Amino acid sequence: MASMRTTRRNLLRTGWKLGGGALAAIAGWTSWELLRPLSASGAGGKIKLGDPQNFASGTATFVNEGRLFVVNAPDHNGQGHYFAISQKCPHLGCRVPFCESSGRFECPCHGSVFDLAGEWISGPSPRGMDQHPLTLEDGVLVVDTGKKLTGPDHGANQYVSAPKGPSCAGKG
Amino acid sequence: MTDTVPSAPAPRGRWARVRESEAWRSVFRHPPLDTPRGRALQSFSNVFLHVYPVKVPKRVLRLRYSWRLGYIATVLFAILVTTGIYLMFFYTPSVTSAYGDMQKLRTGVGFGQLVRNVHRWSAHLMVLVVVIHLARVFYAGAYKRPRQFNWLLGLGLLAITLGFSFTGYLLPWDQLSYWAVTVGTNLVNYVPLLGGTIRDLLIGGEQIGQATLQRFYALHVAVLPLLLAMLLTVHIWRVRKDGFAVARDATSQPAGSQSTAPADAGEADVDEAPAPDVRVRLLGVVDRQSVTAEERLTDDTVFTWPHLLVRHAVVGLGVAAVTLALGVLFAAPLRGLANPSLTPEPAKAPWYFVGLQELLSRFDPLVAGIFVPVGAFVMLGVLPYIDRNPATEARHRKVAIVVFTIVLVVATGLTVVGALFRGPGWKLVPPWQHSYLEL
Repeated sequence: MASMRTTRRNLLRTGWKLGGGALAAIAGWTSWELLRPLSASGAGGKIKLGDPQNFASGTATFVNEGRLFVVNAPDHNGQGHYFAISQKCPHLGCRVPFCESSGRFECPCHGSVFDLAGEWISGPSPRGMDQHPLTLEDGVLVVDTGKKLTGPDHGANQYVSAPKGPSCAGKG
Repeated sequence: MTDTVPSAPAPRGRWARVRESEAWRSVFRHPPLDTPRGRALQSFSNVFLHVYPVKVPKRVLRLRYSWRLGYIATVLFAILVTTGIYLMFFYTPSVTSAYGDMQKLRTGVGFGQLVRNVHRWSAHLMVLVVVIHLARVFYAGAYKRPRQFNWLLGLGLLAITLGFSFTGYLLPWDQLSYWAVTVGTNLVNYVPLLGGTIRDLLIGGEQIGQATLQRFYALHVAVLPLLLAMLLTVHIWRVRKDGFAVARDATSQPAGSQSTAPADAGEADVDEAPAPDVRVRLLGVVDRQSVTAEERLTDDTVFTWPHLLVRHAVVGLGVAAVTLALGVLFAAPLRGLANPSLTPEPAKAPWYFVGLQELLSRFDPLVAGIFVPVGAFVMLGVLPYIDRNPATEARHRKVAIVVFTIVLVVATGLTVVGALFRGPGWKLVPPWQHSYLEL
């Protein structure tokens, strides 16, 4: 029990430990506040896309302002659905172009292929392409680029169909 | 020690008189006496020479002893610091001016392109040399007691070297750097739970932009150099204190006990060159056990100056010549201005991460992006503490050598396939048809 006594040495030792710990915590906190990524950076914000009728069924239209594609994808019953698909590949962040000839998204970096609605078909991507929420406000399509919806998992296959034509990647 | 410095020969000529002057002697306190004592005093009284011990074991002089890989990496670092400082005079870390600065360096600055070339090739060489250094140290069994911690420091230096190369990769702000760093930083996304946060912290936002360029620049020119200098100092200090690399000749001490004794003969009393077979005791601050254990034949050491320093000078000049030749012959790439909405085909990570990218194109991201690289690093880190086999000879550590060799071959194979054989759409394209290698 003698060791539990508060001697000057013990007090100082504990004081150094607590003080050091507090200093480290403060240093960590201030560093984090300084270095943490600024919120709502980049493209975040709402973009008005216009009348939904402008986007014909089976097409993908690139919107440079939000770095996204607006697609009108028919499901297996022929019913059209609108999506705002982020151009960024969920695999390693490359920009995925839309291949007009095959009617699919084909990533140039590592060969991931997605259908018109951004569902994964093949390649190393861990999921389908990410999306932004799309709403209809006063008859106008509005996309919120500040929010991101994680793309559908492998095997969603609600919109997938045979390719329209040859792939853009060709044979390399 | 008695203070019986023999007087120098009578000054001859102007130069000799300068060296005898009070001003000169206030800088260089000891005359350049060509005696063991004179040489020792010169080393002791010179802060730069004092990095080395006064005497080193003879085996250290042989090239095949260590292939001088650690020294070569250090020389490359010195070249990188020198060329890097020149580049800093002409570079602004801003997305609007960085690319223009690179172009100006190419066309408007005398030797600007050459300095940039040398910087780039030295950086690639440094990564390569540090990795080979690690492999050599492994094969020599030099991570074992008492060098466990120095092995860890070495791993830290490897990580810093990779960080250097990766942060520097972004700075030209061209298509190559932008997309290599995009792909490279997106690898971090696959870290469970914290991946996105770490990535955003690293690049300072959702995607690579001004914040990223500024962060990478600060890391590249301030944080990493300081870290590397600190770790390297301790690393070299411990190499010296642990008796340099492992002795491999047949006459060396038995495995396991070797090099527990400091080979640092620097503190030895070097008054006279003793006759062979005379044993001398080392004087210096050593623990009690060492004082009694540290008796050795004196003729297994040679003076660092000139024996080792001349060899180091030759190797250092050789490294400088190689990087200069590479810089003259091959221009560092500069593609078009970085374009965040157009990915070039193919988009590859820098070559030392391309093996990881290759792995990611074949396996689950959690396995390929996290388990394999983190596992490999952790395994290397704990290796000296779990490998209880004291032997350093290859024939007594077959399992360790076979496992390490397999890992090394697989990693090299993946890197070669990713760097040389992958084309647009990540399809296999033989390099003799079209090379998509990006350096």
